[in-house]
Amino acid sequence: MSRGLRRLVGPVLLLVLGPSCQRNTAEEADPCATQTSPHNIVLPFYFPAPPVFSDPLTLEGMALGRRLYYDTLLSRNGPLQGLACATCHDQARSFTVPNGTVNVLPHVNLAWNSSFLWNGKVSGNLQDIMRFEVSDFFQVDVNVLRSHPEYPELFRKALGTCWITREDVARALAQWFRRLTSTHSKFDRYLRYEEMLTAQEVSGMSIFLSETGDCFHCHAVPLMTDNRFHNIGLQSTFTGFDVGRYAVTGNPIEMGAFKTPTLRNIALTAPYMHDGRFATLEEVVDFYSSGVQHSPSLDPIMTKPGTGLTIGLTPQQKADLVAFLHTLTDTAFVNDPELRNPF
Amino acid sequence: MNTFRLLILPALLLLMACKKEGSPTPAPDPVPSNFTLKLEHHVDGALLDYDTLRYINEAGHAFSITRLEYYISGIRLLTADSSDDDPVIPGPFYINGMASNSFDLGAVPLGEYTGATLLLGLPDTLNVTGGLPNTLENVNMAWPVGMGGGYHFMKFEGHFLNSGLPTGYAMHLGRNENLPQCVLQQPFTVGSSGGTVILHFNLNEVFRTPHTYDLSSGSYSMGSMTLMALLSDNCADAFTIACTP
Repeated sequence: MSRGLRRLVGPVLLLVLGPSCQRNTAEEADPCATQTSPHNIVLPFYFPAPPVFSDPLTLEGMALGRRLYYDTLLSRNGPLQGLACATCHDQARSFTVPNGTVNVLPHVNLAWNSSFLWNGKVSGNLQDIMRFEVSDFFQVDVNVLRSHPEYPELFRKALGTCWITREDVARALAQWFRRLTSTHSKFDRYLRYEEMLTAQEVSGMSIFLSETGDCFHCHAVPLMTDNRFHNIGLQSTFTGFDVGRYAVTGNPIEMGAFKTPTLRNIALTAPYMHDGRFATLEEVVDFYSSGVQHSPSLDPIMTKPGTGLTIGLTPQQKADLVAFLHTLTDTAFVNDPELRNPF
Repeated sequence: MNTFRLLILPALLLLMACKKEGSPTPAPDPVPSNFTLKLEHHVDGALLDYDTLRYINEAGHAFSITRLEYYISGIRLLTADSSDDDPVIPGPFYINGMASNSFDLGAVPLGEYTGATLLLGLPDTLNVTGGLPNTLENVNMAWPVGMGGGYHFMKFEGHFLNSGLPTGYAMHLGRNENLPQCVLQQPFTVGSSGGTVILHFNLNEVFRTPHTYDLSSGSYSMGSMTLMALLSDNCADAFTIACTP
């Protein structure tokens, strides 16, 4: 070997071996390290970009969150023994209560939310609401997960953690909720120029998206909610849970105000309103047409020009509006095998 | 020899660092770079206090404000000769009255200005459905295609006492025909030390001059070109401008 060549060997060996040595050192230093598979949810062009989360969305994270969502282990040793998230959030009903007795908000497109539950008592992002669900609602006993034959490895693979905490459970569930994205209703396909609506559905859409029905102000396209709070005039006096947002803020102007629910899959999520008072969409439309009641905190948007609190839809208009509401059903979402119970 | 080699790199670095000193001194930047745009909301001089029926409008109604959202765009800083070369801050800026509304403007040309003009809303080039990025704010400001498309220029809502009864009002403004072109007649100076351009929006001006707006006969404006035209006219003098170091 010439003198020049010998001079080159050392630096070249350092360059080649250096990085591999560093990698080995890092792996030895962190036995919990993991490599995850990134996942990207493709959204239609008219959708808002989802907010940025601290955790990247990964296949492993979503799979873990899915399993936790359906697992009654989440409630073991807590006040809701025997329940899983999915007990009250059934995929076939757009992740609302399976027997239709009470109205829980559907787990659909919650990634865009900044306040949660009917009165918005939890604010923040998905991870914040999951912290609440894990710590306050289910009061998850993480020792149950730590001693489980499979969960420790699943958490390690998904989150790079060897010691499961409630925060880890919230992180995994938050990833799963990001996966619960609905973008394939008939109305979506119409917006993407992929499918026509019937004449009746178009008529209903016109009512929805005009002052005739004035639904769009609160149920804004495409999320079909403005994620705000409104007193829509269900009653004129308020007690108990009916005080709504007022219970959180103490602001009299928010008396009787509740979070606008998304209308995605609304045909599948009866009963309606925060207290489930309406059994059918027809009853809901009747209420908006002529049943709105005045109170000092009635949302200004409920006051209609020249007609007081009524929009006075005809029977045909009501039927058309209901027909349009049915176009918001995302059958691909409620039948998606990747969202089913994995057990 | 080795010592010589070791010294070469630092010496080169020093030479490179020194090179600038030998080059001609660049001219001072003619524009400051630390200007902020700030929106402030008040009712006849009092800072806006939401949700209280404490204000009186020109028609004599006590009113409150529960919601205020709008866009501003095309802020033109007027020079004495008011030429086409007057600096324009294009925007648009989405304003939620309940949030803190400060925007980094970057460089604003120095000078003495006689006033400004701005659009309370969006230029027609942007006021089309899909004309703005699909942020949550923008999709909630959408103006339905069937009603003309584009976006709400403003949502201004609250309650007023209508024969003693708290009643809602919703002053929604949209469509190109109703775009308020606001004139701000306060002279101001943009100095070299940077600062803040403050736009004050007096909400009571929405209800007066040139038209006395009577909420009891028009509490809901969307869908009424007549009511929106009144609001558009009234908004023309609703803003004032100031610049603070």
